[in-house]
Amino acid sequence: MTMKTLFLKSALYASILVAGFVLLACEKVVSIDLNNASPHLVIDGTVTDQQGPYSVTLSLSGDYFEPSLYFPPVSNALVVVTDNQGQRDTLKETTSGTYLSTKLQGIAGRTYTLSVISDGKEYDGSSSMPQKVLIDSLYAIQRTGFGGESGYDIYVMFRDPTELGNYYRINARSSTLIPADSIDGRRYRLFTDKLTNGNEMAERIRAGRNVNPGDTITVELLSIDKSAYEYYSTLRDILSSDRSATSLSPANPITNLSNGPLGYFAAFTIDTKSIVLK
Amino acid sequence: MRRISLKFIAAGFLFCAPHTLLIAQERYTLSGIVKNAETGEALIGANIVVKDLKGVGTSSNAYGFYSITLAQGEYTVLIQFLGFRVKQDTILLQHDRTLNFELTPEPIRLNEVVVTGERSDKNVTSTEMSSNRLEVREVQSIPVLLGERDIMKTIQLFPGVKSAGEGSTGFYARGGGVDQNLIVLDEAPVYNSSHLLGFLSVFNSDAIKDVKVMTGGIPAEYGGRLSSVLDIRTNDGNMKNYGGTGGIGLLASRLSFEGPLVKDQGSFIISARRTYADLFLKFSKDTTINRASLYFYDLNAKTNYTLGEKDRIFVSGYFGRDNFNYPNTFGFSWGNATATARWNHIFGDHLFSNTSFIFSNYEYSNTVGAGTSEFQITSGIQDVNFKTDFQYFASSQSTVKFGFNSIYHTFMPGNVTAGSTSFTNSLALERRFALENAAYASHELEPLSGLKVNYGLRFSIFTLLGPGHTYNYDASGTALDTMSYAAGAKIQTYSNLEPRISANMNLDETSSIKASYMRTAQYLHLLSNSTTTNPSDLWVPSSNNVKPQTADQYAVGYFRNFNNNELEASLEIYYKAMHNLIDYKNGADLQINPAVESLLLYGKGWSYGAEFLIRKHYGPISGWLGYTLSRTEEQFAPINNGAPFPARQDRTHDISVVAIYDYSTIWTFSATWVYNTGNAVTFPSGNYLIDGRLVPYYTERNGYRMPAYHRLDVSATWTLGPRSNLNFSIYNVYDRMNPYAISFRQDPNDPSKTQAVQTTFFPFIPSVTYNFKF
Repeated sequence: MTMKTLFLKSALYASILVAGFVLLACEKVVSIDLNNASPHLVIDGTVTDQQGPYSVTLSLSGDYFEPSLYFPPVSNALVVVTDNQGQRDTLKETTSGTYLSTKLQGIAGRTYTLSVISDGKEYDGSSSMPQKVLIDSLYAIQRTGFGGESGYDIYVMFRDPTELGNYYRINARSSTLIPADSIDGRRYRLFTDKLTNGNEMAERIRAGRNVNPGDTITVELLSIDKSAYEYYSTLRDILSSDRSATSLSPANPITNLSNGPLGYFAAFTIDTKSIVLK
Repeated sequence: MRRISLKFIAAGFLFCAPHTLLIAQERYTLSGIVKNAETGEALIGANIVVKDLKGVGTSSNAYGFYSITLAQGEYTVLIQFLGFRVKQDTILLQHDRTLNFELTPEPIRLNEVVVTGERSDKNVTSTEMSSNRLEVREVQSIPVLLGERDIMKTIQLFPGVKSAGEGSTGFYARGGGVDQNLIVLDEAPVYNSSHLLGFLSVFNSDAIKDVKVMTGGIPAEYGGRLSSVLDIRTNDGNMKNYGGTGGIGLLASRLSFEGPLVKDQGSFIISARRTYADLFLKFSKDTTINRASLYFYDLNAKTNYTLGEKDRIFVSGYFGRDNFNYPNTFGFSWGNATATARWNHIFGDHLFSNTSFIFSNYEYSNTVGAGTSEFQITSGIQDVNFKTDFQYFASSQSTVKFGFNSIYHTFMPGNVTAGSTSFTNSLALERRFALENAAYASHELEPLSGLKVNYGLRFSIFTLLGPGHTYNYDASGTALDTMSYAAGAKIQTYSNLEPRISANMNLDETSSIKASYMRTAQYLHLLSNSTTTNPSDLWVPSSNNVKPQTADQYAVGYFRNFNNNELEASLEIYYKAMHNLIDYKNGADLQINPAVESLLLYGKGWSYGAEFLIRKHYGPISGWLGYTLSRTEEQFAPINNGAPFPARQDRTHDISVVAIYDYSTIWTFSATWVYNTGNAVTFPSGNYLIDGRLVPYYTERNGYRMPAYHRLDVSATWTLGPRSNLNFSIYNVYDRMNPYAISFRQDPNDPSKTQAVQTTFFPFIPSVTYNFKF
C-alpha cells in the first residue's frame, strides 16, 4: 500500500469522523464528452515459470464510452520471444490476435525479450524473471473492523531475500467468487522491499464482506522485476478511481516496450497456496 | 558575482541617496505612532495627509510608525484609517516633533449623512498595485463554511488570487502554484497553512490585526517565493483594558484574552481555538472508536513592551497541530510552530528599524498499521531566521528601505520508525541544510509632482550545505555518481539579482496609471503530485539537480476613484514568465525516496491576464466585485510531446462578488458569489484491454475541463447586545453540485461499460456561530 492511498483512505475516515457533513459528500454518475483517439496498438504479454504456453495478445484501443468489450485484434504479426540463454520461440496465432508459445519454458533468473513486428513496425521489450520467492504459509484471522464491518485478515508469510530490490504482486481469489471479483476491494496488491528488505514478511490482505467461512482463498505471490512493477503500479494509479481523480497528471502506464505501443511485457515467477476459512 | 552585486547595491544606494539625504535647515520632522484610541493597538497603513500641501503625505508602517519632514510652518494634518473616524489636527512645526495619534473606531456606518472626513485616495496615489488589504470587519462578516472565519478563504475572493479547490486552503496567485506564495505570520514563514486536510486554514481570525496579499509589484523587502506574499500581522493586545473575545461554532470554539502588562506601555494577547468533534467519540461503546483522537488546535500568543520613546519589543508565537488517530489502523499528526522576537528602534526621527529573530518549524507524522505492520513516517522543515529592516524617511517625497535577511533551513525529508515487532526496517533519509541570504534596498520618491516611483533591488543567495551526499542522474533517473560533503561544506550555490520597480502617474485627482516589474526567485520547492494539498507534501531545497525557480512579471493598470473616493476601481493587465518549474515523472513515488530528485522534470510556464476590481469601503453597503480573465500554460519537454498545455490553475474566467449590508444596528447581512471556469484536467480519450480489464487511454495533458464552479453563500449577523452576536451562515445556498473530482470506472451493473463519476464535497450547509466579548 502506498502512502498516497493510505492517506486518501485515512483522510476519508478522518473527515467522516470530523463531522457528519462530509457524509453528505455525494457521488453521482455524470455524462462527459470525450474525444475519440485514433486506435492504438496494445501489446499484452507475459512469461512465467509455470508450464506454458505463454500468450501475447495484440489488439487496438477503442472509444472510451463504447459499450463493448470487443477491441479489434491485430493479426498476422510476427511475435518472437527469446531468452538470454539462446532459447527462441516464434509464437503462433491460435485465435485472432492471440499468439501462443510453442516450446518455450520460463526459468527464473533469465531475461526474456519480446519482439513484435506488425504492420511494418517493430516493438521490443525485455523483462528479467526474478528468483522465485516462496510463500511459507497463509493464515487467516477473523476481525471486527472499522464501523463494525467484519471479515478476515489473511496473512501471507514469506521471507524477503537479502538483496534490496525485490518487487511483488499478490493476487488473491476466493473459490466462491468469479476471478474478476476481488476479495478485498482491490484488484491486486503491489509492494517492494524498500522498507522491509531481508525481513520475514506478513503481508496482510483485508478480505471483506464477500468472503465467508468455508471459502477457499487462493493466494499467488508473483516475483516481478522493476519494469513490471513500474507498469503495474502506474496501471493501478489510473485504474483506482480515488487515485486517478486526485492525481495531477493521470498518464498511460510506463511501458517497457519500444516504439510507443500501449501495454507491456513481463516475466515473473508465481508461487501459489490456498487456505480454507474457518 | 556575489561581491559585485553587493557593491552594486551599495553604489545604487549612494547614487540615489544624496538628494534625499539633504535636508534644508528650516525643515523639521513630525513622527510618531498611529494607534487605536480604544485599545492602543498600532494601526498599520494609516494615512497621514498634509491638507495644505497637495499630494503630500505618508502612511504608518507595520508597527504604526510614521515620519514626515516638512518646511517650518503650521499645517493641518488629517489621519485616516478605514473604519475609524478621521482625525484632524493643526500642528505648528518649528522643531522636530513626536506626536502619537489615536483614532477612534467608527461604531456603525449606517445612514452616512455626515461624511465624517475626507476619504483616502491611496488607491490612485500610491505606487502599490496588484495588492489588497483585508479589513477585519470584512473577515468577520463574509459568510464561510461552517461559520469558521477564515482569512485564507476570504483573500481568494480578490482578483488574481484563486482558490486551489474546496478541500484546500492553498491559492494560486496569477497562475503560480500553491508553493509559490510566501505566507508569513508575524514575519515567520508558515509552511503548511492547512487544518483538517485543507478545509480550514491555521489562522485564527481573532488573533489577526492585518492581512495584506500582494500578487505583483512586490517590494524588495519580500523574497523567497515567485508569485505572491500573504503578510499576516497579529494583534498586539489591548494596552488599556483587560478583555476577551470568543466564539462557539459547530466545528470549533475560540477564546482570546488580552490586556495591558503596564498600561499604555506593554500588553499581551493569547488566542486559542480547538475543535471538539472528538469529544463525542468518547461516548462510543466501541473501544476502538472511543480511543480515537481527532482534533486540531491553535494557540497564538503575543506580548509587547515599549521601552521609552525609541524602543519597543515584541515576542509572538504560534503553535498549532492536527491530530487524527484511529487506534491500530492509522494516525496522522502535523503542525506548525513559529516564534518571532522583534525589536523596533527609532534612530532620530527619520530612521526606523526592526530586527527580528524568527523560528519556524513544520512537522508531519503518519503512523500506519499495528503490531507486525506498524511503522511511523515523519518529515518536516525548520527555519532559523535573522532579519533586520530599516526604513529611512528622508523627506515627504522620499523614503528609503534597506535590510538584510539570513535563514538557515533544515530539511527532514523522511524518517521511518518501525514498531518493536514490525517487519518494517527503520530508515532515515539524510537531512539537508541550506543557508538563504538576501540583502535589499528600495527607494520611493516623487521626482515630479504626480509621479511616484518605487525602485529597488534584492540580491538573494542560496547555498546548500553539507554534510550530505549528492547524486547525478542520467536521463532515465539512474544515479551516475555520488559526491560526499563534510559538515558546512558548500554543495551548491545559486544567486539572483531581483530588480523591483513600480511607478504611479496621476492623470488627475481621481485617476492614475501604474506600472510595475518584478523579478522573483524561489529556492525551496514543494513536491506534491496530487491535486489536493497533503500534509505529507515535502519541501525540498534547490540542489545540484534542482535549480531555483525564477519569474519575471510585468503589470500595468488604470486606477480610478469615484464619488469622492467612495468607490475604488482598477483594471490591471499582467504578464508573467516562470522558469525552472517542477513536474514529475509518471508514477513518481515522492515519499521516503532518497532519489526523489531523479523523479523531477523541469520546464517553464507563463501566465497573462486582465483583472478588474471595483471596491466600496464606505456606507451601509460595502464590498467588491472582481473579475479576472487569464490564461496560464506550462511546457515541459517530456510531457505532452513537448507541446505547451494549460496549467491546472488555468482559469479563463473568475468572478467574485462580495456584499455586506448594514441593515440596522441589529442586523448585518452579507453574501458572496463566486464563479470560475473549471480546472484543466486530463481525461481519457480511449479505452483498451489489458489482463481482461478496461484501461483508460490518455492522449494529452490537461486537455479537458472540469465543469464550471459557482456558489452563493449568505450570512446574517444578529447583534444581541454590545457584547455578543449570533451569526447564521449558509454555504452553497442553491446547492450547486460542484465537482471536487471526476473519476472513471467500470459500470458495476455492466462491466462492458465505463462511466464518469463526480464527487461533490460541500452541498447546502447551514451553520450558526455565537460570538462574544467580555
